[in-house]
Amino acid sequence: MTAIVRRSGGNPTNAPDGGLCLALGDMGSSEATLSSAIRTETAFTVNGLRVKMELDPRESLLDVLRERLGLTGTKKGCDHGQCGACTVHLDGRRIVSCLTPAVQVNGQAVTTIEGVAAPDGTLHPLQEAFIDNDALQCGYCTPGQVMSGLACIAEGHAGDDDEIREYLSGNLCRCGAYAGILAAVRETARRTDPRVGEG
Amino acid sequence: MSAPTQRVDARLKVTGAARYGADLTSPNLAHAVFAVSTIGKGRVVNVETAAAEAVPGVLMVLTRFDASDLGSPGFLMGHGYGFQSLQPLVDDRIAYRGQPIALVVADTLIAATEAANLIRADYEIEPIAVALDAEGAETLSQQEAIPLPFLADIVVGDAGAAFDASPVRIEATFDLPQQHQVPMELIGGVVGWRGDTLVVHEGTQNAGALRGGLARQLGLDPAKIEIISPYTGGGFGQKNSLQPHVGPLALASRRLGRPIKFVMPRTQTFHQASFRPASRQLVRLGADETGRLLAAVHEVDQQTSRHDLFPALYTEITSRLYGIGQFRGRHRLVRTDVQTPGFMRAPWEQAAAFAFESVVDEIAYALGQDPVALRLANDADVDPVTGQPFSSRHLAECLRRGADMFGWAGRTHEPGSMRGADGTQIGWGVASGAYPASIAPAVARLSAAADGKVTVGVDGHEMGQGIRTAIVRLISEDLSVAAEDVIVYVGDTRVAPQHLTAGSWGTATALQAVHAALRDLRKRLNVADSDPVDVEALVAATGQATVDVEATTVAPGQPPEIIEQSRAGLVSFAGPVYPGFTAFSFIAHFAEVRIEPTTRRIRVPRVVSVVDCGRVASPVTAVSQVRGGVVWGIGGALRERSEVDPRYGGFANATMEEYPIPVNADIGEVEVGFVDEPDLLLNPVGVKGLGEVSMVGVAAAIANAVFHATGRRHRRLPIRIEDVL
Repeated sequence: MTAIVRRSGGNPTNAPDGGLCLALGDMGSSEATLSSAIRTETAFTVNGLRVKMELDPRESLLDVLRERLGLTGTKKGCDHGQCGACTVHLDGRRIVSCLTPAVQVNGQAVTTIEGVAAPDGTLHPLQEAFIDNDALQCGYCTPGQVMSGLACIAEGHAGDDDEIREYLSGNLCRCGAYAGILAAVRETARRTDPRVGEG
Repeated sequence: MSAPTQRVDARLKVTGAARYGADLTSPNLAHAVFAVSTIGKGRVVNVETAAAEAVPGVLMVLTRFDASDLGSPGFLMGHGYGFQSLQPLVDDRIAYRGQPIALVVADTLIAATEAANLIRADYEIEPIAVALDAEGAETLSQQEAIPLPFLADIVVGDAGAAFDASPVRIEATFDLPQQHQVPMELIGGVVGWRGDTLVVHEGTQNAGALRGGLARQLGLDPAKIEIISPYTGGGFGQKNSLQPHVGPLALASRRLGRPIKFVMPRTQTFHQASFRPASRQLVRLGADETGRLLAAVHEVDQQTSRHDLFPALYTEITSRLYGIGQFRGRHRLVRTDVQTPGFMRAPWEQAAAFAFESVVDEIAYALGQDPVALRLANDADVDPVTGQPFSSRHLAECLRRGADMFGWAGRTHEPGSMRGADGTQIGWGVASGAYPASIAPAVARLSAAADGKVTVGVDGHEMGQGIRTAIVRLISEDLSVAAEDVIVYVGDTRVAPQHLTAGSWGTATALQAVHAALRDLRKRLNVADSDPVDVEALVAATGQATVDVEATTVAPGQPPEIIEQSRAGLVSFAGPVYPGFTAFSFIAHFAEVRIEPTTRRIRVPRVVSVVDCGRVASPVTAVSQVRGGVVWGIGGALRERSEVDPRYGGFANATMEEYPIPVNADIGEVEVGFVDEPDLLLNPVGVKGLGEVSMVGVAAAIANAVFHATGRRHRRLPIRIEDVL
């Protein structure tokens, strides 16, 4: 027998009992939907350049970088902070830009993959090490891996292989280039501090 | 000039400069989001769109296309183009949870998302069957349902009687789960029109099918369709065909007069694209007291959808892994209420090798024999199915070399006999794998310029496997030109037909076409095949700016006309059975597992894999590809399972958090070896396939290692903590 029921047309994991709603992150109910009219003036720097724009408070930093600023090196892999492909630096600290409302970076400095090499095109040693160790395949997660690798070294979390693996495990790579990524970060960390990784 | 050793597009990828489908930006882009069905099956009675249409910035909300404007793309495996034949949004039928019910297009992604979230629908619900043994699931004999020779059950001798008469018999049934490909790049891209030409930027493994399928769906001249896909952010089978979003976007874009960007939310990729189907596998294996394998039976039930028959080919490898005289395979297809399942890396071979190689190991233990020795003693001399020779077969060498590299001689045979000081249970396991060596038709257009630069456009897609690097290496070595002077176009229908790149045939297919083009170029330049070439001087001597050649190649035994089928965007590969020989790649995996005494967590600190893939066309990228296959095998053995919801349909763990692909901390040392013997019978470059065989057998090696650690056999994947308590 068929029965007519009314359901939300949203996400297919959104079971009728609502038990899985938490997994959905961005999909609020209609009552909670914000008006599209709100705009907030936001000023920040990206790779040293000053940016000032009117932003919808719901816009993620990731979408602003990609869709408004044309900085498409930063990738969207899940939009839920689960894969790390969108990793950028905010005032030198790594963040997932998909979970960061762009208005929140007002007054702060954003660094993306486009800002890692020198202006003359000279690659950062970690980028060179990624090439030397073939630490990539399809390349889609690579910008996020590089940004996390830089932060892992700067945080002092590249002491040994296990520590590097742990601190890079927020960045998924479906091609499975993990061995190369580990080698690239290890090699670069040692170059920065020869005592690192000896044990 | 030596060929490049590094990945040629690595610099673009580490700087973020490589442009993927959704990286195209333009000031007048519109953004699209689909609202999807929240029921598992039935009819959509009414879709309420008023609230969505009222959202500022929304340009259109479409709930239905005329079937005459948007036809079925046909099913990829049924002389069609789509991952499934079903095209959503053309009638009121809902075949599976997550099927699109409305398309929203807006000025911004925020507005489109907000509006899609406001779509409400009324449904008539029908009962669903989403599991193999669910009430209402319909089981068919494959060879009766699809009477094609290559899908017939493989029968050699009388395996049933031979099994019954075998002194040593093992029988086991294995349950293999649904899994999802989860490439990092989300499905989608940018669809727009340049005049009356449809232009699609999208990461794909099959630009040819996008063109052919859109031509069929929309009634367009294929010459008026361009598919541009220079970089695909991982495919693994998910992007092997036309997806159902592209046709609706093309129509919406034409109506709107603006290009549309679409990036499918991750959760929707679990429901709007293919997945690895569930399967149940019965294996019976009989041997004599010396360990000689006498008979094998391998029967598989595999899930498919109601609307398509995704075929099963599990026994293609299990009938050939060893020289077993008697073999009987059987495939049945089980119709369930899902989107059509399909190809995911080593689509059948991953599951088949897990089941079969688990039982081979069990035979070795039943006889008290070393699992490597038993495999070596049962190697095949010829293809047991056809009786014809293999083009090349070095499985024994893979096993021997792998055992050496791994230190297998240091293993003690008894289960539970190896332990760490803290009580950690240690297990060492081995398994073999094989994968068909197929080849597809291809066209290579090569242009040598007076400035010494060489440009080539060829069938093939770069999904990370390194096809571009392999092509550059071949040209660079042959013509003594620097890697940076070789420009490669792949994944682009403007330069070649762009046949599907999958099934591990990509490198062999592209390289033999480029090889033929290089031979033609040498003829045009009057240089013998083996002589050194000075491209710059020789082209300049012709008095022309460039010397252009075009070569078309097909698989051994294929008629030249097959290229027309490929030009139409249809699947056209051949193999593994060719006239006069049979071609497979082979591999041996050795795995160590450690089961932690308190948490019972299963870790894999090291794996050794030795591959027979013919000549290794690009050593650096080949090692990475094998390591990646091993990572996939670890995921398949210990992590990945898509949880079905028997009440409401769909998949319950459809996020990257809850569908756990391996992370960096899951992966230990992975050592890779190659036999590196060219297979010149298969093609003049000597290359067999690599991408998928690298995964085949990993799960079995891990499961066999878990048995060695604990004494317990495992009949389903993934093996989790609760299975080793």
